[in-house]
Amino acid sequence: MRLKNLVTALVLIALGAGYGVLTAGLPRRSLPNSPDPSFFPWIITGCLLLLSAILLVQGLATPRSARDNGVPAPPLRAPAVLLVAFVAYVALLSFAGFLAASVPFFAVLMALYGERRWIAIGAASLLVPVMLVLLFRHVLQVPLPTGVFAGWIG
Amino acid sequence: MNPDIAAGFIAATLPGSLLATAIGVGLGLIVGMIPGVTVSTGIIMVLPLTFALDPTISIALLLGIYAGGMTGGSFSAVLLNIPGTPSASATILDGYPMARKGEAGRAISTSIVASFAGGFFSFLCLYFIAPSLADLALRFQAPDLFSVVFFGLTVICTFAARSPVKGLLSAVLGLAIVTIGQDPVMGTARFTFGNAEMLSGVHFLSALIGLFAIPQLVDNMLDLARGAVEQRTRTRMGSLLLGTADLKAMGMPVAIGSVIGAFIGILPGAGGPIAAFIGYDYAKRWSRDPNRFGKGCVEGIAAPEAANNAVTGGALIPMMTLGIPGDPITAIMIGALLVHGLAPGPLLFMQRGDFAYALIWSFMWANILTLVISLAGVRLLVKVLGAPRALLMPAIAILCVIGSYALRNSFFDVWVMLAFGLVGIAMRYIDMPVVPLLLALVLGRQLEEYLRLSLTASKGDPTVFFTSPFSLLFLALSVVSIVWAFTAERRGGSRSAPAA
Repeated sequence: MRLKNLVTALVLIALGAGYGVLTAGLPRRSLPNSPDPSFFPWIITGCLLLLSAILLVQGLATPRSARDNGVPAPPLRAPAVLLVAFVAYVALLSFAGFLAASVPFFAVLMALYGERRWIAIGAASLLVPVMLVLLFRHVLQVPLPTGVFAGWIG
Repeated sequence: MNPDIAAGFIAATLPGSLLATAIGVGLGLIVGMIPGVTVSTGIIMVLPLTFALDPTISIALLLGIYAGGMTGGSFSAVLLNIPGTPSASATILDGYPMARKGEAGRAISTSIVASFAGGFFSFLCLYFIAPSLADLALRFQAPDLFSVVFFGLTVICTFAARSPVKGLLSAVLGLAIVTIGQDPVMGTARFTFGNAEMLSGVHFLSALIGLFAIPQLVDNMLDLARGAVEQRTRTRMGSLLLGTADLKAMGMPVAIGSVIGAFIGILPGAGGPIAAFIGYDYAKRWSRDPNRFGKGCVEGIAAPEAANNAVTGGALIPMMTLGIPGDPITAIMIGALLVHGLAPGPLLFMQRGDFAYALIWSFMWANILTLVISLAGVRLLVKVLGAPRALLMPAIAILCVIGSYALRNSFFDVWVMLAFGLVGIAMRYIDMPVVPLLLALVLGRQLEEYLRLSLTASKGDPTVFFTSPFSLLFLALSVVSIVWAFTAERRGGSRSAPAA
């Protein structure tokens, strides 16, 4: 935890400094006797830097023995694949539309969550997105992304 | 009699509203009992539905999930020794030992009845306290409102984090994110980098969906990767009937839990888990035979279950009267209402009294229907404990995308949701609570607006915050909560409150 706190504090100090630089560039126009638009961001900059500095001091004051030694690292491959699949799905949505993007995404996620029966994956990844399209677009009139296949499939 | 009370009752009792409440209760019981799926996620799943429904029906659905979810969490606590929601953690202490003695049905019935009693007590608190508090809040000026919002933020930082510094940092990060877009007083563009979509800022519902749902998807995947096997209940249910002796034994623990839960619910950020453990602790202390606790007694289930359900009505009080959410669930409700143009706060009772009372009555129905549906369907409902994650998690992922896209028909919001998902994962990794960040996203604009309006009215004189008694009171409470948090940290106390 000591190392995590130190890294977090340094990252947040950098973030606070960057936020401060951007705040300094904000326009100064204001009403008479009224704080300008940079007033609140300056308070945030101050709080961010102060609290990050306290976290840094707390991290430095923590004995090295308090580090989390011997804790096995979590298996990261599967969550990383999940997040990559999520990013790819959102990117595909704007191009292919909801239904065409959701079917493969659903199938990939089912496989990632341990489903090994291909018939179940195929059936669920088709049925669930189709049901969602029917429910949201046609029953509830909630707009869903449409892509190049608009008019053919959802 | 206030005509809004009758109008609200009629709106909440219409067949459509009651059906929505019942569906919500059913869904809540299901998501509540599945370990790894929180009530917040359950509400996020139905969020896109609420955009299209009438506001009264939407809120009935959400309140049904809220009440049902709190009760459902105890089913898996009793049957699997795993709390379905963090709020049911204390129920394990006596629930599982009862199940091992072959009395799972009796334990679950105790939990259902105590949950109803706690929830109904909190409905009464909501019914009698909220309108009076809203009347009082109408007298608040900008400095008072600033101090109230500031208090809400500081108190959640102190309750929601093991480290108060990290809690406060989380809130400050949220406030920094809120400053993206047009400023609330002058309309000046800030931190938009010339991007037109950033002018309207980060919609807190997109952020909330990402912060809560995506880390949960990752957590479930990590469980799978670690080899954690899905548990199916093989525990015998036994009889569901409670005897007169059981009902008599439950009386005092239920009363203790209900009062503690409703009070803790009013405090932003404290939440169900804290209320349940405090309720359990007090019931044990005041029991004639405390040695029975922990070995499987109805008192040990009744107190925490009454407490965690009483939190729900308590949390609705600051939401309805001050616009301050007590937990992530009430934050989502505020978002859902804002989509319909209804802003929770003191003006809600004045401008849309019928809706405010419809919400209160729907909450009553949610508690009654939770009692009826869970008692009637518990044997069927527990079969859901064997539901495959491989079907549930992809559905949650897609509903997250629909929910964030449907807010403003914008892919920008979907990317924002995804970005906040990564932020949520990072914050879990560094043990920084996400709830203060979320609350800052909800309250940040109001905080800045009231601060600047107060200073404008006083021509820049900061003593304006100390001359009003209300403002002074809430600022003093804020200081007390921060000092208390740092003192507790120094003593090594843990005050962390997991998400509902």
